[in-house]
Amino acid sequence: MKDLLRTKTEFIAEYASRLMGCGVNTSRVIRNSKRLGQALDLDVTLGVFQRSIILTSSDNDDNTHSEVVDIPKLPIDFEYNSELSGLSWEAYDKKLSFESIKQKYQTILDSPKMSPLIILGLVGCANASFCKLFGGDWYAMGIIFCSTILGFFVKQQLTTKQVNHFITCIITAFVASLAASTSLLFDITSDIALATSVLFLVPGVPLINGVIDVVEGYTLTGFSRLSEAVLIVICIATGLSFTLYLINDGLL
Amino acid sequence: MTMVSDIVIDGFFAAIAGIGFGAISRPPRRAFKYIALLAALGHALRYSLMTYFGFDISTASLCASSLIGFGSLWLGKKCYCPITVLYIPALLPMIPGKIAYNAIFSLLMFLQTMDEPVERAKYLELFFTNGLVSSTAIFMLAVGATLPIFLFPKHASSLTRRKLYKD
Repeated sequence: MKDLLRTKTEFIAEYASRLMGCGVNTSRVIRNSKRLGQALDLDVTLGVFQRSIILTSSDNDDNTHSEVVDIPKLPIDFEYNSELSGLSWEAYDKKLSFESIKQKYQTILDSPKMSPLIILGLVGCANASFCKLFGGDWYAMGIIFCSTILGFFVKQQLTTKQVNHFITCIITAFVASLAASTSLLFDITSDIALATSVLFLVPGVPLINGVIDVVEGYTLTGFSRLSEAVLIVICIATGLSFTLYLINDGLL
Repeated sequence: MTMVSDIVIDGFFAAIAGIGFGAISRPPRRAFKYIALLAALGHALRYSLMTYFGFDISTASLCASSLIGFGSLWLGKKCYCPITVLYIPALLPMIPGKIAYNAIFSLLMFLQTMDEPVERAKYLELFFTNGLVSSTAIFMLAVGATLPIFLFPKHASSLTRRKLYKD
């Protein structure tokens, strides 16, 4: 009985840390984990910190088990966010057995991912459209499309090689803005091209999740997310300013 | 006629930007069409408010992000996606990148013109104006879209609950 409690608690801890790691707001992580606990006949209480989660669960016979898990650094993943939330509801509504919950969890983790090449193309188109929204002309859009693809490719490569996240951001911002600065050679809206070139790096998810967390009372995780987002913005600015110093004469 | 086509073109490019920036965070496939729709509606609303009604960027961003927030509450139930999965990618095209860039540019120019008081003061003023406007606009985007979560907490937290399960 105690062993079962322990395996169930370990599973919920793994579930919660994965959600937290791939960019889900704190209140949702807590709600989902508690719901999953209810589905497994456990009463779960958890405390979420910046880098770890403390979790205690108790069963109907008053046995308790506690776990402390590290939150892994995972790429942001909305698919896990939706599907794992859905799993907690399905387990709760259908009273699924522990085995089938584990099986469904594994199926969700193994789901096929979008090819990096398609993402590369989509991000290029997105940043080019962004350039258009700021009033850039068609030539600037073309340059932004190419510079974004180059920059995002560099980012993908550096991320695969597990280079520090902040250094990746600085290098990517530098490469993308330097590529976009070729627009200065032509008589086009080059300042808009330069401004847009690094925007695909903006940390939108931690920024908005941070605000949600703070407003919902999870100040600790909220501020840790916001400070990470601010650091990334500073890194983007640093990379961009390297380019601006290099091409200073062209702009003045 | 140009007014209508301007608004439609603005929405169209916002939709592409929303899909592309969203793809980085890997949303479920079924969510893409709703993200595109929300991004287009939100950005087109902000564009119209600013161009034809004289709104400032922060107020217009608040209106547009509220529209996106309530829209994703409604559409989230249709595709069983949490509200944040729909509205974060849809908000990204509204980030005031040009103004943020101007702030960084002014900061660099401020550092380079330290010896010239008039120029220095000009760039310092530009840095604070642009920095304040862009951060207020970003804050308004986050607040407006989060509004529905506070107004309808029960509904917002059960979007991924299905009425019928396939198996």
